Amino acid sequence: MATLTSWVEHLTTDVDSATEGMQVAGEIYPMVGTEGWLLLIGVIAWLAFHVATGNGEAEEHKKLARKAPGPNAHKNNITEW
Amino acid sequence: MTDELGALTVIFTEFYYWMTVVLMFLIHVGFCMYEVGASRYKNHQHTLMKNTILIPLVTITFFFFGWWIYWAFPTGPGIAPSIMTESTGLVLGGGFGANELANPMSPIMAIGLNDHINGVFWAAFLLFSWTAASIVSGALIERITTFAFGILAIAIGSVFWTIDASWGWHFDGWMLKLLGYHDAYASGVIHACAGGFALGVLAVLGPRIGKFSSSGEPRNIGPRNPWLVCIGLFLIYTGFWGFYAACNIPIFNLGPEYGLGDGVNFWTATNIYVTPTTLSGITFNFLMSLSGGLLAAYWISKGDPFWTYSGGLAGIITASAGNDLYHPIQAMIIAGVGTIIAYKLHYWVERKFKIDDAVGAVAVHGYAGVVGLIICGFVLWGYPSSGYDGLGYAPINPVGMIIGAFIMFVVLGFVPGYVLAKILHAAGKLRIPREVELAGLDYNIMESAKKDEKAVASSNR
Repeated sequence: MATLTSWVEHLTTDVDSATEGMQVAGEIYPMVGTEGWLLLIGVIAWLAFHVATGNGEAEEHKKLARKAPGPNAHKNNITEW
Repeated sequence: MTDELGALTVIFTEFYYWMTVVLMFLIHVGFCMYEVGASRYKNHQHTLMKNTILIPLVTITFFFFGWWIYWAFPTGPGIAPSIMTESTGLVLGGGFGANELANPMSPIMAIGLNDHINGVFWAAFLLFSWTAASIVSGALIERITTFAFGILAIAIGSVFWTIDASWGWHFDGWMLKLLGYHDAYASGVIHACAGGFALGVLAVLGPRIGKFSSSGEPRNIGPRNPWLVCIGLFLIYTGFWGFYAACNIPIFNLGPEYGLGDGVNFWTATNIYVTPTTLSGITFNFLMSLSGGLLAAYWISKGDPFWTYSGGLAGIITASAGNDLYHPIQAMIIAGVGTIIAYKLHYWVERKFKIDDAVGAVAVHGYAGVVGLIICGFVLWGYPSSGYDGLGYAPINPVGMIIGAFIMFVVLGFVPGYVLAKILHAAGKLRIPREVELAGLDYNIMESAKKDEKAVASSNR
């Protein structure tokens, strides 16, 4: 799982290279190489949010529309705290 | 980063953009205050939540595809050749779509030790995206569903403004090359585009119940809390400082970039087109255009606080296209002219087309942005649109800027807004039911709170 287990090793990659020190292994997050799957999960979560909240909102509006309080009815519900 | 000076330059740039993001966050705080202040009591919580929810929605979609769109389409595609070739040394690399830089599956779109800039630069653009979506939000209050607004916010914040930025707010953009388009601080790419988008949605959404009399006369609705609106606008001004700074590259060596000669260095700040400017110079123009807008709006609105504050914003927006090059007094005059035109157009459109723009967003952002682009075309006529002018860029000119304004306001603003609103309307998802609008979106929340209050008051302990 862990992308790096030693900071010293991670920062001294390519010690024999002409560009030593310039080419440290960049990525430090876990599960490097799974970025495509992470993107897929993110997109599914995003779309699921729209479906769930869109349905909830429509249901809430239907209920309130059936109750049909007047334009000034909310004034009876103004709290004093 | 192995040498100290190079490291300082990179980390200064990283911190610079990070600071602009923090400052620009205040734009969103301001928009939230402003919208709540403009809405009626019975809609406050939903109005706040509608604007708040655009933050995560635009953020994640800008990560998924918005940032990629910006880097993918400067050439159209297929409208003008790219200068990012091997010979100019500007190749970004292949990969997903047009480049690897903003590929959401690339390690560069995550924490890594070889890159200090992509995340903060992404975030600066993201905050522009929030602003674009927030501009639309205010115009639609008290009758749009949160679901529909979420879709529209993503469309303007992560798709359409990003396309126009790719075309006209990128050093390789085809609009610079073919039209001589110049829009240093986003009169068009953010404000005209978002204003046009809002107008397109409003044309389908319709006015709030009671906004127009049976004879078609407009009535004033609110604002309920003018002081919250004014403080909100003050915060938007504050965030605008960050916006201006974020439009610059803080430190860049143009000597080798422009091929000024062997060993010639010219370190400077540049605008988004990589042409030289200074933070100091644009500070002159920011304040002078703010002042020009405030003075003009105070005069034309006879001291109305709502319009005076909005006029300050309209002034900056009008002058923004050329505020990297104008003289401060030019910026002040241009701001005043744009503010007056935006104010007059707001009321003319309201009466003529029965458009209920609850906060004047179309005027302050859309009309002022368009006017700013057109004026810029005349005042900066003949200036190079790019420092890479040897590579075939058209100079700034009025015709190119008028066409550019049309692309921003109509092609990438009004039309997508109108079409998407039509689709949402056809699906029955655009507007809240009439009974809900009359009762107020917060009715159930308020009723529940009242019950709680009574229960607590009647409690014995």
